[in-house]
Amino acid sequence: MYSVVGLISTNYATEGLGVLTNERTVASLPFGGRYRLIDFPLSNMVGAGIKTVGLITPYKYRSIIDHIGSGKPWALDRKSGGLYILPGSVFGISSAESRFILRDIERNKAFLERSAADYVVVTAANTVSRIDFADLVEKHSASGADMTLVCRRAAAAEPFMDALDIRDGRVAGVRKGAEKGDAMFLDCFVVNRELMEKILEWYKAINHLDLFEVLAADYDKMDVRPYEFDGYVGPIFTTDQYYDVSMELLKPTVREELFAADRPVLTKSHDRVPVKYVEGARVSNSLIQAGSRISGTVENSIVSSEVVIEAGARVKNCIILQDCHICAGAAVENAIIDRANVIAAGAVIRGAKGDPFIFSKSSGK
Amino acid sequence: MKKKKCIAMLLAGGQGSRLGALTKHIAKPAVSFGGKYRIIDFSLSNCANSHIGTVGVLTQYRPLRLNAYIGTGASWDLDEPDGGVSILPPYATETGGEWYKGTADAVYQNLDYIRMNDPEYVLILSGDHLYRMDYRKMLACHVEHKADLTISVMPVPWEEASRFGIVTEDETGRIVKFSEKPRKPDSNLASMGIYIFSAKPLINALVADAADPDSEHDFGKNIIPKLLADGKRLFGYEFTGYWKDVGTIDSYHETSMELLDPKPGFNLFDAGDRIMSNNVSEPPQYIGKGAKLSESLVSNGCVVLGTVRHSILSTGSYVGKGAVVEDSVLLPGAKVMDGARVVRAIMGENATVSAGGVLGSADPAEAIAVIGDNAVAGGKEAK
Repeated sequence: MYSVVGLISTNYATEGLGVLTNERTVASLPFGGRYRLIDFPLSNMVGAGIKTVGLITPYKYRSIIDHIGSGKPWALDRKSGGLYILPGSVFGISSAESRFILRDIERNKAFLERSAADYVVVTAANTVSRIDFADLVEKHSASGADMTLVCRRAAAAEPFMDALDIRDGRVAGVRKGAEKGDAMFLDCFVVNRELMEKILEWYKAINHLDLFEVLAADYDKMDVRPYEFDGYVGPIFTTDQYYDVSMELLKPTVREELFAADRPVLTKSHDRVPVKYVEGARVSNSLIQAGSRISGTVENSIVSSEVVIEAGARVKNCIILQDCHICAGAAVENAIIDRANVIAAGAVIRGAKGDPFIFSKSSGK
Repeated sequence: MKKKKCIAMLLAGGQGSRLGALTKHIAKPAVSFGGKYRIIDFSLSNCANSHIGTVGVLTQYRPLRLNAYIGTGASWDLDEPDGGVSILPPYATETGGEWYKGTADAVYQNLDYIRMNDPEYVLILSGDHLYRMDYRKMLACHVEHKADLTISVMPVPWEEASRFGIVTEDETGRIVKFSEKPRKPDSNLASMGIYIFSAKPLINALVADAADPDSEHDFGKNIIPKLLADGKRLFGYEFTGYWKDVGTIDSYHETSMELLDPKPGFNLFDAGDRIMSNNVSEPPQYIGKGAKLSESLVSNGCVVLGTVRHSILSTGSYVGKGAVVEDSVLLPGAKVMDGARVVRAIMGENATVSAGGVLGSADPAEAIAVIGDNAVAGGKEAK
């Protein structure tokens, strides 16, 4: 029986997310009305029996620390193992596109050294999926590989994802941008812990680089294999992708896979009241989170908690984040309304289809 | 352990037989209420919001689900290192063991718990009432009166007074008479079953009561009359907020429907003291194309494809296409399949009304229809 620790990188690859990540990490981006992106990788880890998880949090970490706390909702408030907040290295040296900066891991080497784990599962937080890490580690362990990278056949071109070059069942390289049909790298892998420590030692001099940049010349020296995942994957690197992946939750098949009861997505709970629908409310094809009060019209939308939609207000094709108030007669269409905004009575906000209008987070909340 | 000012003893052992099918498998305090809550949430939240951090929960009837729900008490911030929630079931000793024979006996059998915490005051609560109360105000009143016992009371309509324990006070608020369900009440102040005792007189009264072979070991029937007869200082604390007993099918249904009022007497959305509960990890509710919802409370994990009017849908319940739910309460996981009709009904946890089936009647002369947990109704095989 082997033991596994998890490592999640909470805020890289944010350059396409604009104002949505002005004040938060990618990992703490609200998603699906009730969740934050971190809930998916974290629940996947906990669901796979991983009881020690480190979060690399280099900057803008207020919201992620607020959300994660002691790790209690994920049962990570433990005496042995549990949750570790790992401060990142100095920001500004490296490319903002990097996912796994070596220095971040190196500066937190104690986290790896103190653990007696055989394997480390490492993942970014930009991708929504329900990867079975237990199966990943089992396949990795059985194969005897040094490192196993999770990939999926790209259904469409994904310019922000990397692609794996696979030759004879081995990973021979990683390149930027995935074309349709490529083995798209899901920014998620498992590595033998001792090897990870060695890699940190080898590349001390260039540790401001991304792990996969420094490994570029090493694929012939190491046994790196792909692990193909064929479930749902929602990559979130741009505001458009954030909007599109969110809207995919309105499909029953996507919800059934992501929220399957045998491995629930765990999140911080807030004692929200059930949603109140008032006489005159009209709601169609929408996800509504507890704590909201709906008197107006909501169509093809995702509504987070504590949102008030007054009588006569119309919300269509929108993502409305927590604590927003849509006043009587306002019309909001094709928009992302970030947290704690008040849309005044009669106001009209209309984004284009395929190019949602983004109303940034109200300051002070 | 440091001496405590006030601890709570929450009586949660009753069967709640008047809730019929709803308490066949679980104790009354564990019955789902208000969409995402369980009845005990209201008392536990009141304790937490009143900063009473030591709560003994006395359980007896079918305690498994209740115990699992309470867990460490963390959901109510009651997982405190010095105190917190303790589940107190009946237990055996070297001379044998006994079930709790009444409310007073249940507390008597746990005198060790009270002594261990060594409080100045003991708050006695039932786990089946819907109300928000700051017990600190009641305690201040108790302390001010130098009372042995303070009973929380509220005025009820005179015609209903004979259903309650009725308290008669003198002009200073001191209780001069306590009559359990009097035929001819001389006061309309009803006991809410919430007591604050000074610890010493409580312990003395319980020890004396336990030795009395004729006693039914009940607070209302035995302890309070005895304290009055002994000339102890009993006072009423008048509560003016919303308080409802949800211990019968009719009161459960009526109280649930009152939550749906445009300005409900008990407003779950009140910004003040929130009601805490042991939340489950369910995704937001999905409201489908063609769904119609009005005057309703709908919880996380629900899927609504049909019509829901003036109803409460608890966590993870389902209303299929063309189905209609009206003036009803669906407990967690209840399913109303396509084209079914549920009117003036309470569906137990994971109960199902089959496609095209009917449960309940809009006729107010008919009783509220109830089906128990896991039951299936409305199919061809149903009566």
